[in-house]
Amino acid sequence: MTSRAHMAEIFMRGLYPLLLIASVVILFRGHNAPGGGFIGGLMAVAASASYALVFNATNALNRLPCAPVRLAGIGILLALLSGVPAISQGLPYLTHPWWTINLFQVELAASTVMLFDLGVYLAVWGTIGGSCLLLIHSIEGEA
Amino acid sequence: MSWAVILALGTVITAGIYLALSRDLFRCLIGLALLGNGINLMLFTSGRLNSLSPPIIPAGDTVLGATANPLAQALVLTAIVISFAMLCFSLILAIRIVQENRSDDTIALREAEPHSNDPLKPIIEDEP
Amino acid sequence: MDNPEQNQTSKKGPDSTLFHLAIPTLLFSCLVWWLFYQPLPWSFQIAWVPSLNIGFSVFVDGLSAQFLLMISGIGCLVFLYGTGYLAGHKKANHVFLLLLLFMLAMIGAVVSDNLIVLFVFWELTSVLSFLLVGFNHEEENNRKSAQQAMLITGSGGLCLLLGCILLGQIAGTYSIQLLIARAPLFINDPRLFWALGFVFIGAFTKSAQFPFHFWLPNAMAAPTPVSAYLHSATMVKLGIYLLARLDPAFSDLFFWEVSLITVGIFTAVIAAIQTIYERDLKRILAWSTIATLGTLVMLVGMPGEGAALATAALFFAHALYKAPLFFVAGNLDHGAGTRQIDCLTGMRRYMPWTATAAFFAAISMAGLPLTFGFVAKDIINLAKSQANLLQLVSYAAFFVNVVSVAVAAIAAIHIFWGQDTIPRKAQPHEANLRMLFPPLVLAATGLLFGLRPALIDPLLGLAAQSMAPGLDPNKVDLSYDAIPVIEATFGTLALGLFTYLRWDWLHNKFNRLQAIQKRGPESWYNAVLETLPLVAVRSTRVFQNGMLPRYLLTLIATVAALLATLLAASGLNWQWPEMESLPFPVLGASMVIAAGALATFRVSDHLILLLVGGMVGYGSALLFLFTGAPDLALTQFVVETIFVVVVAAVLVKLRSFRNETAKVPPEKRFRPLHFLVAASFGSVFVILCLLVSALPFDPALTDFYGARSLLDANGRNVVNIILVDFRALDTLGEISVLGFGLLAAYPLLKQIREKRR
Repeated sequence: MTSRAHMAEIFMRGLYPLLLIASVVILFRGHNAPGGGFIGGLMAVAASASYALVFNATNALNRLPCAPVRLAGIGILLALLSGVPAISQGLPYLTHPWWTINLFQVELAASTVMLFDLGVYLAVWGTIGGSCLLLIHSIEGEA
Repeated sequence: MSWAVILALGTVITAGIYLALSRDLFRCLIGLALLGNGINLMLFTSGRLNSLSPPIIPAGDTVLGATANPLAQALVLTAIVISFAMLCFSLILAIRIVQENRSDDTIALREAEPHSNDPLKPIIEDEP
Repeated sequence: MDNPEQNQTSKKGPDSTLFHLAIPTLLFSCLVWWLFYQPLPWSFQIAWVPSLNIGFSVFVDGLSAQFLLMISGIGCLVFLYGTGYLAGHKKANHVFLLLLLFMLAMIGAVVSDNLIVLFVFWELTSVLSFLLVGFNHEEENNRKSAQQAMLITGSGGLCLLLGCILLGQIAGTYSIQLLIARAPLFINDPRLFWALGFVFIGAFTKSAQFPFHFWLPNAMAAPTPVSAYLHSATMVKLGIYLLARLDPAFSDLFFWEVSLITVGIFTAVIAAIQTIYERDLKRILAWSTIATLGTLVMLVGMPGEGAALATAALFFAHALYKAPLFFVAGNLDHGAGTRQIDCLTGMRRYMPWTATAAFFAAISMAGLPLTFGFVAKDIINLAKSQANLLQLVSYAAFFVNVVSVAVAAIAAIHIFWGQDTIPRKAQPHEANLRMLFPPLVLAATGLLFGLRPALIDPLLGLAAQSMAPGLDPNKVDLSYDAIPVIEATFGTLALGLFTYLRWDWLHNKFNRLQAIQKRGPESWYNAVLETLPLVAVRSTRVFQNGMLPRYLLTLIATVAALLATLLAASGLNWQWPEMESLPFPVLGASMVIAAGALATFRVSDHLILLLVGGMVGYGSALLFLFTGAPDLALTQFVVETIFVVVVAAVLVKLRSFRNETAKVPPEKRFRPLHFLVAASFGSVFVILCLLVSALPFDPALTDFYGARSLLDANGRNVVNIILVDFRALDTLGEISVLGFGLLAAYPLLKQIREKRR
């Protein structure tokens, strides 16, 4: 292994979590500024794809929180369920109510819309990231 | 400014169709990508390009001022993601097709299609 | 017949006879009773498709009543005859069911006042005729005849529908009575020519008029009761019924009069010539039926009240003499085993009752005095002398009458008198009672009305009044005293008998006409039927050529042409957007996009093509960035990067996209046709976009989202709020689609991996 490739791997190991943190930041700031679930999800896909280029697709798949299909499934399920609390409040399905949570003396505004956005994020990561990684994985041959 | 954008998207659509009609499967794939891109641009311009400021409500205000059209942007955003997902699927399908047919010549890809000298009706063989 | 199974069914015969007869008899008696008390016309309404203004409106006047009586009355006798004729046949019940359905469809057609409803019943009779003609479908010939009857009357029916819809559009109503009432308002409408033309095609196919006449003799493949009922007494008259119904509205039209008289008399003459050409009794009767139908069409076309009365009388007379003759043909078929007139002589000895029925029916057909046929002929001659017809038409009608006298002579004299010299396998025998009663009853009725025409005066008067509203039904008097027309009748008789005596000589003479007949309408029909599959084969191979790029080319060219046509026909005022000042970044981004797109034409290497294609995506991202869409810019940027990176990785890993074994040279040649189609598709989109941009923008929805975003959904990025809150259900649907995409790709990926191992 050349030292250049070694350097790239070390670099990537550090960059990957940073990219993921950035994607989550973009996901959550999307409510009031450019960003959101789709863009965040695509950022996460970009992180996975670059990981796969530096190492290989198998490693990148292993670094996902879980298997791609399951990831996508969790995302869709989350988005589906985020609409349910509204029904219990007598609102139409997928209306997102807001609450203020007092956490350690800090007023935090929370809503099911965040769950929904997270669901979109996970679904995009799982499906698009999953298909890209699996494609590279399948043509890599044995790995 | 819509003139420039519209002429550009017309070029993209033309190039997309031209590539899609090619005999080379990979060119078809890129044609599909361009076509999706062109249609997204079309959707975007049909929301009008009247303002250059992003549709974000500034702090202090409660109502959106004169900004770009948020509705068209929301539609195009989902369209980009969907067309990308479709492109990924097409890529996978294309690789699989080439693998199966040992050819990427679209004219040779006729597993389910007849040759010009094939009989119209399948010849029914007598049951033994 | 010696099949034990069939014998078993024939034992049940007497029981099922009553069963089969029950409904028609009930119908007939109720009708007679009802018509006796009910003053006509009588009408009744049921809404059916109110939105299309189609109601099941029943309207019964004299003409309908006459048809109702013929349909149900002859129907009873046909059912009775059928129980004898089809006794022991394993599919007899099948025929009776179809006949019953046919009867109801006919009744529906003649009582309906709505053109569309009439059409529905009309087509029903066509379908039932198909099933009845093709009843014996093991025989190829029967199948062909059934198909022919179906195709011709069915396509005629479609023309009729077109004509009815056009008529309805012109008149503003589908009700026949309203249409007649409003006729003076639209009689000069130029569209009427087409409407009536299509109605004519429908009526002419149904009533076997030239050039659609040839299906009727071929339909003689049907069992005799069916031929007697459908192809002589009722169904074939439905076309003439419709013409007679519409007659009061259009009788003043020159077009109406000329086409009906021309087609009618031409058909009659052609059919008369063909009659002489035949040797099969049933086909002779069929051709002579066509001749009568032609005469009827001519009578409908003739102006005047006399013609209306003559039409009504001939309807009746024909039903009364032609149906029994068909029954006679059936009896001969049954008893002597043949219908060829060469093999039938001296049958009087074996079948005295059939001979009697044939005799009385035939003298009515020949128009001898004291029969109803004579009455009808008398009125017809009167009508002809009233209407100023061309001399040629009179001669033609005279010729047709002569031939019909000769046919009557064949049926009554040739077959039953003289010596039976032909050797046979079995001695001919008389038919049973159920097959004798119907022809005898009908022939006797003809005689009764011939002796006492006053009995039928009121009905015929009312029927004629439906065709000529000016006629007073109370003044109709059918008693005959016009001496000059009697003389003409005797002239016909003499010549008819002469024709009968020289039948064989004429037959041989006309044999030479076979060459002409071979090029007649039937050969056109056959040619069409043979060409269609060839055209289908050729066109299928042209369109389904198995080449995917060609399919795509056809599709795209079609869509482009359609869009262009729609644009041109939309009547938009062609307004282009203004040329505003262009911010430099936007212009730059557009140029990057266009440059990337143009470059793809010249690039053949896959990796470079990918990068050039990526240029379009990055250009779009720039454009989004400079036109106030940071979300889009970000998304497009990331998407394009992932795409280029992943595809590049795939290309590198596969070394080449294409399989090593297949070497298609990269395409460098410029394809002008493909470019033309692509460019026209692109141009249509450019024009569409420009037109849309010039239209005033409706900001209602955008303003709503802008105004409610922060207040209702507590978010400032309106694009994201639309996605996750206002239109969250759409987004949910979208990510589900993504999920399904992954599921679809999964097995493919697995196969790719397994195959590479």
